[in-house]
Amino acid sequence: MRDVAIIGVGMIPFGRRDEDTLLDMLAYASLKALDDAGLGDKSVDCVYVANMGAGILQHQTSVASALVDRLSLIPAAADAVENGPASGASAIKNGLLAVASGYYDTALVAGGEKMREVVGWKATDFVATMTHPEAEYPYGITLPGMAGMFTRLYMEKYGVTREQLLAIAIKNQKMGALNPYAHVEMVITKEGIYDSPDAVVNNPVAADPLHLYDMCPVSDGAAAVVLCPLELAKKIAPKSPVLIAGFGQATDTHTLQERDDPTDLKAVTLASQQAFEMAKLKPKDIDVAELHDAFTILEIAESEHAGFFKKGEGGKAAEKGETSIGGKLPINLSGGLKARGHPVGATGVAQIVDIVFQLRHELDKKRQAKNAKNGFTINFGGFGNNIVAFVLRRVE
Amino acid sequence: MMEELGITAYKCKKCGRVHYPFHDRCLSCKSREFETIKPEGAAKLLAYTQIFNLPWGFDVRFLIIGVVEFKNGVKAMGQIKADSLDKLKTGMKMKATWEPIRVQAGEDIYGLKLASIK
Ligand SMILES: [Zn+2]
Repeated sequence: MRDVAIIGVGMIPFGRRDEDTLLDMLAYASLKALDDAGLGDKSVDCVYVANMGAGILQHQTSVASALVDRLSLIPAAADAVENGPASGASAIKNGLLAVASGYYDTALVAGGEKMREVVGWKATDFVATMTHPEAEYPYGITLPGMAGMFTRLYMEKYGVTREQLLAIAIKNQKMGALNPYAHVEMVITKEGIYDSPDAVVNNPVAADPLHLYDMCPVSDGAAAVVLCPLELAKKIAPKSPVLIAGFGQATDTHTLQERDDPTDLKAVTLASQQAFEMAKLKPKDIDVAELHDAFTILEIAESEHAGFFKKGEGGKAAEKGETSIGGKLPINLSGGLKARGHPVGATGVAQIVDIVFQLRHELDKKRQAKNAKNGFTINFGGFGNNIVAFVLRRVE
Repeated sequence: MMEELGITAYKCKKCGRVHYPFHDRCLSCKSREFETIKPEGAAKLLAYTQIFNLPWGFDVRFLIIGVVEFKNGVKAMGQIKADSLDKLKTGMKMKATWEPIRVQAGEDIYGLKLASIK
């Protein structure tokens, strides 16, 4: 297997993008990534497109064939990857393996989702289609509902507090306000969302014990990366390449209730261990991470299951600022899903784009992790039933 | 309302693991031989939440949803009959019935309903 590097990245601002179709967004992000890689007028060998819902939300299928047509990348091989909210990282894994194998030399991986053109209950229903069609979906359970049940169990077992969840929301919205690609650009304070007359109105319960500000927004957006062998990257890449040093992927039972301990996100632990092993690194070697905080509890639980903190310590670390910029391990300096937004098919790709920005040291100092050399991502599918982790490394 | 619950669970004939929903092979030993069983005995509340942003098909302001474990090891999700979470507690005993849980295309869909035992 060959070492594979990321030589170009592109992203468009997430949010409500009424004027763009899904294909517009995928094309804009892809063109930015191709330009960034110095391939603006060249082709690539293969294309992977991450998308979860075009078949349901836009009544459009075969989005990978549509994208190569838009970009005049024909006759490149093209595949769409649907793996729920982990589609983005799954697509990158496919591009990585295609290039690592030696079969293809260049791969474009794009992820996108257009969720805001349908009304709220339709978007909620669309996301809920990943629950079990007999044992869960008919009851009206939603992903926020699954997260609510998980949060109560996690609080009962590990003593996670609402203040710790708030620390995640406040930190990530603060970072999002500094990120030109983020959907949510509003800084929030503890007084505004907790323990005040305003908070009752501003931050109502959404899925008990989770409140509105524990949830990521519903967003439109797209992101893309270009991959090639590291040796080739050293010759052709206009910017410093970033090595995909390791990846891992693991699955778990469809329903939470069939796990021996529903607070144990085994697939997160396994995927992370695989990624660290392949990269020959340990959690302590990571300088910056993008975790899948679709709900504030997930940033805490993933930071523990990935091995950065002991169980029950992740929330305390966030409260103490250890996961803020300048802390021991800055997490979600992009604002995370909480503020960047969560166009489901785009998220896993956007996380990698944000880590590449960090490892190329090209961000404003308010958002740049100092001397970042190694980065880490978790893309979380279903309710923890399909997890993809990556370790990325700056190439000097 | 029906006392007979419409849930069929699957007990592995080789290792005894109870599955719900169905799997083609046992999660523990990969055997394909199952005995079908019904949820039996009191139900213990394992997890619960109250959700306000509901998907399509619910003409209510919120839903309270939980997961219970029956005495014979069957675990299943259900809608909880309560006005708030005030009287709910993890580990409490619940009574289970089979009742309409939503309406789809004008038809009642039946499912597990749970209520605290007074
Ligand atoms: Zn078995």
